[in-house]
Amino acid sequence: MKSNSFYSPLKILYLMINQDKLREWIEAFKEAREIRRKYADWNFIKSQPPKIRIALEYYIEVGDLYVAAKLAGMSMDEFNELRIRAGIPSI
Amino acid sequence: MIAIADTSFLIDWAKYDNRDLIFKIFELIYLPESTLNEIRNELTLIWISQALEENRMAIFPEIPQISNEALRLVNSSRRLPIRPVDYPEAYCTVVGKIFDYVVLTENGGVAALVDYFDEYNNVKVFRAIDVIYQLFKSGLVKDFKTELDRYSNQTKHMFSVRDLRKYGIL
Repeated sequence: MKSNSFYSPLKILYLMINQDKLREWIEAFKEAREIRRKYADWNFIKSQPPKIRIALEYYIEVGDLYVAAKLAGMSMDEFNELRIRAGIPSI
Repeated sequence: MIAIADTSFLIDWAKYDNRDLIFKIFELIYLPESTLNEIRNELTLIWISQALEENRMAIFPEIPQISNEALRLVNSSRRLPIRPVDYPEAYCTVVGKIFDYVVLTENGGVAALVDYFDEYNNVKVFRAIDVIYQLFKSGLVKDFKTELDRYSNQTKHMFSVRDLRKYGIL
């Protein structure tokens, strides 16, 4: 089935989604990202080796602890300790 | 009530000095195997192992049908222009839906998903703020706002404007 057909999985998915709520959450995630950016200790982050720095920056932008930990090559709780040292609030 | 917790919830909650009060709200908290794999901090492991020993926590096994549905949820959420859910929390969400367990998570993707995705509207998701509110409502903590501040200080977790407004704090 072509993805642009009327019955495409994406179209069916969108039919099951409350668009107003989706927009509200997109805004809420933007607010959370701004807070993470504001409180982050950028000097600490920039002093880290690339793998760690990239993972911390990913966490600031997305707020996804699981993927950030994988990027850093750490367990989630190890990465959570690093997040605290980098001054990044979880929100 | 019975709950299932993901790692994002546990690693913060375990730092909170009133952490054991959660067992006054939930008679049993399940941990998926994938959650345990992500925890290496000694204090968190000690707290969990004691709770397992006292039957206040239990391991939830990896079940193929739930796993398949969790992967479908990950796939669906990745098609949307919003923070997606990852496999571990998707697994908890599916368990929550099937067994009517409360899902304990700090993952915003899950809190959002059960709100905007009609198929999962019936899943109850509690974040730390919701659990602390339940503790307050049950008289287990005296002042809701003071307790939120304590939690924030101890875990370096911040509550969003949206969360605080929900409870009339702002």
